[in-house]
Amino acid sequence: MAERPAPARLPRRGWGRRTSLFQWRQPAFWLYAAIVALTGVLAWGQQQIFQEISPSGWVLSWLLLLVYGLPLFMAIYLLDLYEREPMSLVLGALVWGAVAATALSGIANEGWALVVAKLGGPVFAAEWTAALTAPVVEETLKAAGVVLIYLIARDEMDDVMDGFVYGAMCGLGFAIVEDVFYFVAIFGGTPGGVLAGFYVRVVSSGFYGHVLYTGLCGMGIAYFVSRRDELPLRRRLSVVVGLFAAAVAAHFLWNSPLFNFFPGSVETVGDWLRIPLAAAIKGVPLLIFVVVLVRLARRRERMWLELALLEEADTPALTQAELRVLLDRGERRRSRREIRERAGESAEKLLKRLQKEQINLAMVRTRSHGLETTELVRQRELCKSLRDALRSMPGVAAAAGR
Amino acid sequence: MSAVADPPLPAPPLHERRWIPPLLVAMVIVGVVAGGYVVADALGESLGGATTVSASVTVTPLPGWELAERFGDPPGARFTRGSASLDVASIAFAGSDLDLLASYVQEVLEPDAEQLRVSENVEPVTLEGGLTGSRIAYVGTFGDVQAPIEGEVTAVVSPSGVGAVFDGWAPSGQLRYAIDDIRAMVRTAEIA
Repeated sequence: MAERPAPARLPRRGWGRRTSLFQWRQPAFWLYAAIVALTGVLAWGQQQIFQEISPSGWVLSWLLLLVYGLPLFMAIYLLDLYEREPMSLVLGALVWGAVAATALSGIANEGWALVVAKLGGPVFAAEWTAALTAPVVEETLKAAGVVLIYLIARDEMDDVMDGFVYGAMCGLGFAIVEDVFYFVAIFGGTPGGVLAGFYVRVVSSGFYGHVLYTGLCGMGIAYFVSRRDELPLRRRLSVVVGLFAAAVAAHFLWNSPLFNFFPGSVETVGDWLRIPLAAAIKGVPLLIFVVVLVRLARRRERMWLELALLEEADTPALTQAELRVLLDRGERRRSRREIRERAGESAEKLLKRLQKEQINLAMVRTRSHGLETTELVRQRELCKSLRDALRSMPGVAAAAGR
Repeated sequence: MSAVADPPLPAPPLHERRWIPPLLVAMVIVGVVAGGYVVADALGESLGGATTVSASVTVTPLPGWELAERFGDPPGARFTRGSASLDVASIAFAGSDLDLLASYVQEVLEPDAEQLRVSENVEPVTLEGGLTGSRIAYVGTFGDVQAPIEGEVTAVVSPSGVGAVFDGWAPSGQLRYAIDDIRAMVRTAEIA
């Protein structure tokens, strides 16, 4: 009896498709646009109030958060090594988190806070409201954005890694706007207050918050929708619910008085130093968990890349040696460094372009319905011509021959 | 009755089914955003007839007083009895009760007032829960209302940094009929 190939060993079909956010025929797009437009008015109004309360503090808050947010944005975006998500969808997730999720959460948290206060009384509510309401409310509203992104461009969320990218972007948008609120409304909005807020919320605990929570939720959503052909509903449901529950639990722990080693007031240098340690106690376990999941997801993407390119290896588009280099990020960097030393910067740029197009070859191959489609043939020829151009550069042949 | 089973209905066209998932997402969003208010209303008043003004402040209205309105930002509520009102607001506040009192006068009363006179005496106040605060009286005309308003503002800040402002007011001459109730409601308010 012929053995069935294990599904996990097949490269993902359609991996590498590219769709934009603006899908005019998708109802999900219009729901997304309507909610962002409505909540955008609220969010803009809130920013204007902050600007009036403290013009300099508001500007400083945004400047500091750009310094933190831009590198983190790039890090999340580049985390998906092989199949970068379309920028419009990535920005769509960021905007949902920053505008829609924050504005809706503000309204929803107030309502659920009343419930906690009615059931537990004001003393209980003062201690536990943030832990009991915000995790479920905020994670649900951020995750709704990831679901909408999926519904707008279903082909784009084809693996767990994609879900992490969209979820983390949504979380990043949320974190930035929430931080502006904290810096101005809670830390006082003066330059000193904003800097203190930046130290507490970004320097000390910037790695543990919304980016991780929603990244986890996004992984669960992507797992659920991308493994439909491979796994039974119950298994997919248990993973999406489990990862959502993990995100809520981590958020709950962060907001709750449990394991709270933050100093009551900050007066000495020791108090300032205690803040990152206290944050680490609450946040590091989740960080480790997410790092492990991301590494597993990346390993799976690497396997797909390999499977997609195996039959292209030893062709004019790709050699076996190039495939080995392509599969290892360190090797890719090393090969570019080496060629720069021997043949200069323009050779390095050309090699980088060749490697990018060879990865694109894998994407084109997975979405092509045949081995000789026009797109696939054109991509192979592009790779071949880039390699020919690279080899004709002085010094490259010697580097390649090593 | 026919023994042959009816053929299964064909799946609805794709463009019809595309509405269902976004509709479900919209329902979840509405449920999360509005659910708290609906549940809070369904729970009614909390134990002892107290009304939750915010997560940190509850006020027990005396007989005849009713919750007329809720405010969102900062969270607060207005209780009324006839022409008298008690506005209660709750904010996170880092300063003293005197600072809170001063900022309420400067940021809320003065911008709205055509004319405003605030008492020079600041009266200390102690709530039943043990918290202390400060109280002032004022008279002024506000907005388009021609009749002068008189009121009494009490500010309390809890050790956990919750600031509560109680502004009891009525058209001039009528506050005296409600002031005992207002003071009693302030005295029995719970602040976390």
